[in-house]
Amino acid sequence: MEPNLATYLGLSGILFTIGAVGVIYKRNAIGMFMCIELMLNAVNLTFVAFARYYGDVTGQLFVFMVMAVAACEAAIGLGIFISFFRNKISVDVDDASILKN
Amino acid sequence: MNGFNLMDYAPILVMFIVAFGFAASQVVVTQLIGPKKKTATKLMPYECGKDPVGSARDRFSIKFYNVAVVFLLFDIEVLFMVPFAVAFKALFKENVTYGTIAFVEIIVFIATLVIGLIYAWKKGTFDWNVQARAEAKAEAKALKEKKLQRVEELKRGEIKIAA
Amino acid sequence: MNTILLQVVNPNVNVTSILPEVIVAVAGTLVMIYDCFAPKQKIVTGAISLVGLILATIALFALWSGSYDFANAWNGMVAFDNLRVSFTLVMLFVSAMTILISTVWTEREDVPIGEYHSLLLFATVGMMFMASGNDMVILFLGLETLSLSTYVMAGLRKSDLKSNESALKYFILGSFASAFLLYGMALIYGATASTNITEIAAKIGTANFPALLLAGGAMLLIGFGFKIATVPFHVWTPDVYEGAPTPVTAFMAAGPKAAGFASFLRVFVLGFPVVAGATATNYLHGSWVSALALMAMLTMIVGNVAAILQNNVKRMLAYSSIAHAGYALVGFVGAGVAKTSEARDGAINAVAFYLLTYAVTNLGAFAVVTLLGEKNDRRTEFEDYNGIGFKAPVLSFTLSLFMLSFLGLPLTAGFIGKILVFGPAIQSGEPLLTVMVVVAVICTAISAYYYLRLIVVMFFKERLTEWTEPKIPITLATVLIITVIGVFGLGLFSDRVLSIFKTSPTATKAQLK
Repeated sequence: MEPNLATYLGLSGILFTIGAVGVIYKRNAIGMFMCIELMLNAVNLTFVAFARYYGDVTGQLFVFMVMAVAACEAAIGLGIFISFFRNKISVDVDDASILKN
Repeated sequence: MNGFNLMDYAPILVMFIVAFGFAASQVVVTQLIGPKKKTATKLMPYECGKDPVGSARDRFSIKFYNVAVVFLLFDIEVLFMVPFAVAFKALFKENVTYGTIAFVEIIVFIATLVIGLIYAWKKGTFDWNVQARAEAKAEAKALKEKKLQRVEELKRGEIKIAA
Repeated sequence: MNTILLQVVNPNVNVTSILPEVIVAVAGTLVMIYDCFAPKQKIVTGAISLVGLILATIALFALWSGSYDFANAWNGMVAFDNLRVSFTLVMLFVSAMTILISTVWTEREDVPIGEYHSLLLFATVGMMFMASGNDMVILFLGLETLSLSTYVMAGLRKSDLKSNESALKYFILGSFASAFLLYGMALIYGATASTNITEIAAKIGTANFPALLLAGGAMLLIGFGFKIATVPFHVWTPDVYEGAPTPVTAFMAAGPKAAGFASFLRVFVLGFPVVAGATATNYLHGSWVSALALMAMLTMIVGNVAAILQNNVKRMLAYSSIAHAGYALVGFVGAGVAKTSEARDGAINAVAFYLLTYAVTNLGAFAVVTLLGEKNDRRTEFEDYNGIGFKAPVLSFTLSLFMLSFLGLPLTAGFIGKILVFGPAIQSGEPLLTVMVVVAVICTAISAYYYLRLIVVMFFKERLTEWTEPKIPITLATVLIITVIGVFGLGLFSDRVLSIFKTSPTATKAQLK
């Protein structure tokens, strides 16, 4: 089967869903963040598929921006995780529980 | 396109020769003129400064993490430079104004990165031994004070040097 | 090869059109550089930041009254209209006030002050681009610049577990929301083959994949819903607002919310209009209007009811900020159903004005909370406000005034703001929108309970422990004076401010002719 637009959209939809479900079910902050990255990559795939379909370069440019932003997010996220880990010796989000009603 | 000429690839061959030659000469020269002191630590397999044998879940120094984050940020910026580099020549040929604008823009981009680099540098991200040096400084200071104190005490004659 | 090349580069490099943004960005970089060469300074970076913000405001006004043609600036990526100008003013005001408020905090605790100021300025740049971007790429980059800076600011108190936790939650939920937003953008791009809002609005009637349009709209709704904290996407708000340092909370409740509204308005109201004869598009328009109306009602009800149950002032203000996002959404929906472009612009201006009144009141209230909070924000429970009324008359009277403005008492800014945002929704005459306004009015009545509770606690409860009035530093006094004048000024002379908001930039007017 020749891969067409629908194939790519289906794949990116599946990846995005896996990522979203992962963020909800994972309890480790790093694991959650990896799932978010998966979601971003699913978005990238969608953009590239459409850019190819339309022969339009804007979608690919958008992917560049998304990748750069994802790297910045990773750097900042790791910083936040580290400072949390230093005080709590854990990156389990269930341990982030002092702020509650 | 059809005239495949092996000589077109000569520069690559030259580069290979130079690279191999450089690497080989380095190995040979260090073997010949370098001082050799064999210690247990030096004979260990090298693994970025960590003990090669031990628990894989060992915690390691925060310095690695700092370098990794800075690397991550600066590494990804190549993403924007490669398309520029690929397209620049054709663009400049097509329209000189557009080419100039693109060039100025990439310069602004790199300048911004350089500012970021200066910031990280001044904040001590690349200073591998900032902690060790601070400790050494404190120790030296303490020693100096102790020495001064001792000298003063000697002057006042409170301590008699054992004859 | 060359066709693709020229498709990208038709650069209309028009730095003038983004001059305010550039000024703030340069000021942020200067602060950063100055800080790394002189880390011990206390006031210089704050001064540079304030000067930068003031210069940006001047530049904005100059652009506004001058006659420039920005129609094709940066390939149409930058908008120059009422929406941009009014929201940018709100943002610049919020940032300047935040810098003044945070002097208390930075003096009291060991804050990396230069980093804080540069982060604040970069967040401001992000916000400004969220208001000025006319292209989804710009909106996304602005949003991320803002979010990334705010995540760090929330966690700036590094050794405090509450602050860490706040940053962690904000980061994970914020980037989760960004992913949804981005997927929505990708799907809209897929349906219209463009990321430019103006082009999207033009092409939306003949979209290629109508189903994608609807799915994309839903995803965008989720993403923006998270950013402006509407129910059911509000769960992060109270935790993050409570844990973050108080000046940062003040900023987060006023600035990013306004920026979120600016982008939200631009994408939905200007990007997804009603197109005659296009079934799918009109279905999209109808469904986003009703979805937002429902969200607005839920937001107001949940925000106000939950605020009643709180015992922490910061948490109460967090729920109150959720409720106020609900009130602003009423105006948003009003802009969505507007029949004419004048009515639409009027509703957009009303939302901007509402967010300005909210920002003024909110910053004033948080200024007092910051001062009373002491080190590490220990004193933020309702009990800590017991009986301070007559011991610290200046602080407690101003705080009471802000509470009354939140509540929407006549003569204050909050009252006129509410009237203005409810207006367009009522005038449309649609049953759902009328119900929404009724809910809004009932919720306002409910909110009296918790706003007045703070006043009662301050003036009529007895204080059992020793307490001395904190000294009001000059910066904080400035903030209090400006906000008190703002509360009365916006309440009494709202017409004048609105007429400023209404004046289209000369460039846009020329373009229309």
